Amino acid sequence: MAARFISHDNLELLLERLRMYGNLHGPVRGDDGVVRFTALSPGTPPDLSAVRSLLPPKKYLLHPRETILTYTADAGYQLPSEENSPLILFGLHPCDLAGIQYLDRLFLGDDPDLLYTARRAALTLIGISCTPDDFCSCHRFATPLEAVSDLFLASVDGGYVVTSSSPRGYELLKGVQELLEEREIESPEDSRRFFGQAVSGPAFSELDATLPEWQELANHCLGCGACSLCCPTCACFDVLECGGLDGDSAVRVRRWDNCLFKSHAQVAGGMNFRKDRAERFRYRYRHKYRGFGPLRGFPACVGCGRCRVACPAGLDLRPLAERLEGAHHEQ
Amino acid sequence: MKKLRLAIIGLTACSGCQLSLLNCEEELPGLLDLFEFHLFPMACSPALLEGEYDAALVEGCVSTPHERELLLELRKRSQYLIALGTCAVWGGVAALRNGEDREVLRQQVYGQSRIACETAEPQPLRSVVRVDAVINGCPPEKNELLGLLADLARGTLPAEIDYPVCTECRMRENLCLLTEGDKLCLGLLTSGGCKARCPSMAVPCEGCRGPVPEANLAEAMELYAQKGFDRITVLERLCRFYPEWKL
Repeated sequence: MAARFISHDNLELLLERLRMYGNLHGPVRGDDGVVRFTALSPGTPPDLSAVRSLLPPKKYLLHPRETILTYTADAGYQLPSEENSPLILFGLHPCDLAGIQYLDRLFLGDDPDLLYTARRAALTLIGISCTPDDFCSCHRFATPLEAVSDLFLASVDGGYVVTSSSPRGYELLKGVQELLEEREIESPEDSRRFFGQAVSGPAFSELDATLPEWQELANHCLGCGACSLCCPTCACFDVLECGGLDGDSAVRVRRWDNCLFKSHAQVAGGMNFRKDRAERFRYRYRHKYRGFGPLRGFPACVGCGRCRVACPAGLDLRPLAERLEGAHHEQ
Repeated sequence: MKKLRLAIIGLTACSGCQLSLLNCEEELPGLLDLFEFHLFPMACSPALLEGEYDAALVEGCVSTPHERELLLELRKRSQYLIALGTCAVWGGVAALRNGEDREVLRQQVYGQSRIACETAEPQPLRSVVRVDAVINGCPPEKNELLGLLADLARGTLPAEIDYPVCTECRMRENLCLLTEGDKLCLGLLTSGGCKARCPSMAVPCEGCRGPVPEANLAEAMELYAQKGFDRITVLERLCRFYPEWKL
């Protein structure tokens, strides 16, 4: 089958060309060894061997802390306005693409979030195939989320097969045409195939609150929040009203939250819907593997492995998930 | 709008927390429109404790009978009483030697000379009075101090911080100094809000903001042990800012 092929040698030229379409960001390994999504300026090559970045690309769509409403006596309530110049994210793995699709469901759904919508519209996604490591579980649990990008680079001998899946991707493809060659290559299998699978069975049933695992997890949890900060689909936020020092103005701020924090389910009067960590773990598990509310039966875990890697206590929900959900397909 | 009447005083401490407020030079003129700094001995000519206060901000530990009286008097006269900084909230450096013989300590510091006042083990404010809100830190962060004043101006108080230093450290995508850097970083057990000031400069957290709510000391100790830090070393480090970790 004829496919568009780009050689490893041409990759740098591709990046140079992409910079003409907007700010180009991708995974970069810092001097401290930490992999972060950051600007791919000339001379800063992406680290395409890294399995995962510390924070997922959600940081571009939902900032850790941001103003969502401003009040002044003169102007009244005002929504924030920001300039979103085009941003191209290069080197996204299928799990991160699926993570963005999950966030799209939450923030572009019935009641679209203005900041998210504007940032998302400015974003071009360029995916790349990867090889799962021991922490990954994309290949172990079914998820209906799909790994959709504008362009995708699937690894083959000597380079990548490039495909577009959106009008924007098609435009980019035309713009970089002379860097590509038509080749007779079978479309390579890549880890996108783990995504977009229907789930059934356990995903729709209730969790047993008496399982000893909830308490065992709670005993070891340090409450640091790393699991959800680093999760591509965790989108809980806290909302704070912050008065200005002029006595008149105020801003409403939202910041990333974590379901294991004490205040997550705390309401007026100090009451708490989930008083102890064991209950909070059951809640977290339910969100990641079964979904709830309108997304019941819609697991949120994309299997990127960040929660397990980032947890200082090495907590891992996967063994429990394997027992309760059952591993679903071949390694 | 009626100006709020404030009392800002320091007990046994280094005055650094009050200084942090005075260092907000840009904001100070604006603050004078909102507040009457009625009692602020560190910044103004001596004023008398008189009338009632909308809020009292108190730095430091209680360690003398006079400080105890002063604190009780302020509590009686103030709608809100706020513990300002780690000594006032947790005991801090001032309480570092609690549990040791005070006569021995007195001789080490003052030798044979007599000191005029009687002292007791320095205690955080909550040992003596009800505290309505706390601002952690040694010293506190400027944005938290100004946030407190902005909250007071609206008749409210700052929310409790229930996440550790690690949370903001991860948000900043720092290398984990404990799990990856093998350093004795106390971020796991320490109340956040400082935006991981020290770990972001590759300096391990010293725990200056005191314990985070629901701190899991047992699991943290396990983790420190795995990294080769013995219990005594970790506890000594922890107790520099919150002596009661010992208990």
